[in-house]
Amino acid sequence: MASVVDAAGEPIPTSSVLMSAAKHIEITCMSENVEFLKCKKKDPNPEKCLDKGRQATRCALGVLKDLYQRCKDPMETYVGCMYYHTNEFNLCRKEQQAFEKACPLK
Amino acid sequence: MTEAVIRNKPGMASVKDMPILQDGPPPGGFAPVRYARRIPNKGPSAMAIFLAAFGAFSYGMYQVGQGNKIRRALKEEKYAARRAILPVLQAEEDERFVKEWKKYLEYEAEVMKDVPGWKVGESVYNSGRWMPPATGELRPEVW
Repeated sequence: MASVVDAAGEPIPTSSVLMSAAKHIEITCMSENVEFLKCKKKDPNPEKCLDKGRQATRCALGVLKDLYQRCKDPMETYVGCMYYHTNEFNLCRKEQQAFEKACPLK
Repeated sequence: MTEAVIRNKPGMASVKDMPILQDGPPPGGFAPVRYARRIPNKGPSAMAIFLAAFGAFSYGMYQVGQGNKIRRALKEEKYAARRAILPVLQAEEDERFVKEWKKYLEYEAEVMKDVPGWKVGESVYNSGRWMPPATGELRPEVW
């Protein structure tokens, strides 16, 4: 369950994968996320914000795939550590440093 | 009879002349014993004790503040990560909800098709805002 990709090579957005990549997603998908949140604030109806939600999802999944392609091993160890420690950042500092050294935050 | 044997003094005329056998102090008396208080008046003054206690307390509170700063930074990291992935999760839930809602509206239209003047999917509230469905019938496995 602590794998980043499924059988076809697509990254699975589980909680440990998303939390591991959260800092990258925050930087790369800032505009899409902000647009989605503004749309939600204007009208909480889910049918009205479907397209912005799809853009945000596409951006985040693109970030996951890109990270997996660029640094597969550090990401896999980091995701495994997060899965073991239930997404506690403080218990996975070593793996986090290794991951951010391999795929630095821009 | 035994007292006379023990306390015998040779040449005594009667029992009334026996020498006295008493437990008493040694000759010259006992050594003098001090019984007066002698509590020394040296050591830290009241102000010194108060300043030491106040210093220890302030150092402890300072360490508490530093620890709180560290803990707040950890919590902020966790919350920032949650904020970053919130749109992805909400978008997924929106897609799932829209699918379920469309199915539910079809079911409602089918059930209420003979009722005159019934608007399918009409909001039960008058505020004009969209409200999530109040009953738990759409997700019985959650509620």
